Amino acid sequence: MIQGLVLTHGGIGEELVRVVEMILGPIPGLKAETNRGRSAKQVADVVAGWLAGLAPADRALVFIDDYGGSCANAALLGGGDGDRVSVVSGVNLAMLLAFATWRDEIPPAELVQRVVDKGRQAVTVVGGAR
Amino acid sequence: MKLVLARIDDRLIHGQVTVGWGHKLNPDHIVLACDEVALDPWQARVYAMSVPPQVAVSVMTVAEAARLLGDPDRADLQDRRVMLLTGSPRDMQRLVAAGVPVRQVNVGGMHYARGKRELVPDIYVDRDDLLALRSIGECGLELLVQAVPGGQATALEPAQLRALEDRL
Repeated sequence: MIQGLVLTHGGIGEELVRVVEMILGPIPGLKAETNRGRSAKQVADVVAGWLAGLAPADRALVFIDDYGGSCANAALLGGGDGDRVSVVSGVNLAMLLAFATWRDEIPPAELVQRVVDKGRQAVTVVGGAR
Repeated sequence: MKLVLARIDDRLIHGQVTVGWGHKLNPDHIVLACDEVALDPWQARVYAMSVPPQVAVSVMTVAEAARLLGDPDRADLQDRRVMLLTGSPRDMQRLVAAGVPVRQVNVGGMHYARGKRELVPDIYVDRDDLLALRSIGECGLELLVQAVPGGQATALEPAQLRALEDRL
């Protein structure tokens, strides 16, 4: 099983998870955390603590909002440099809906790529001038 | 070398630094002076990755950074716009004491941890932090609390530091 952590600035992650659950119902294994009020080490410890609470066989996917920021650093530092944890940036609603929809259906590596693809597809001009 | 910012920030390299101050000050070289990060290849790599590609980055111990930035004759830093970052007041104080030409210290991010007290809003310190800040101030440097350009800027006065020191 793959578990998801949405790690963002402010309350972005918490609200995204709330909306995903409003659309699809409760999603066990999808949790939100924030960097608010925390040092780099404290945020990394949050990620490490979340990982420590997962089953040994679980894979992990950390969604962050922006590459190059404290959440990205914390996800990488807290997650370590092994292959158990994947980190994807630019989290949006489409990515989380894809995660919740296919996490039991397809292998983790394929799921990560599908999440990224769905997230990219959602970023588009939908009207007005191009 | 022009030192465009000397900042204390326990998040080290992150968005407020690279996007906020970076867009305002256009550094072409970021020096992160932190022993723990410099001595851990994985941490050093992660922080170096978070710097925009057009900006050079050096992740160094405090002693290495002092040697690099304390030498006014270094040809490789000539005409460079350097941003200096430390994770603690103590590391910045060590750099100042070693002769790094800092004129003003930006106090950007010092988050709450056990044993720390609030000095000014959003800045938490323990006794060693206070002593280091006081030492920096006694060298004649201005200490300015400011998270991002355009944000509220508050000068830290020696009397503020002394007042809290008595309570820690």
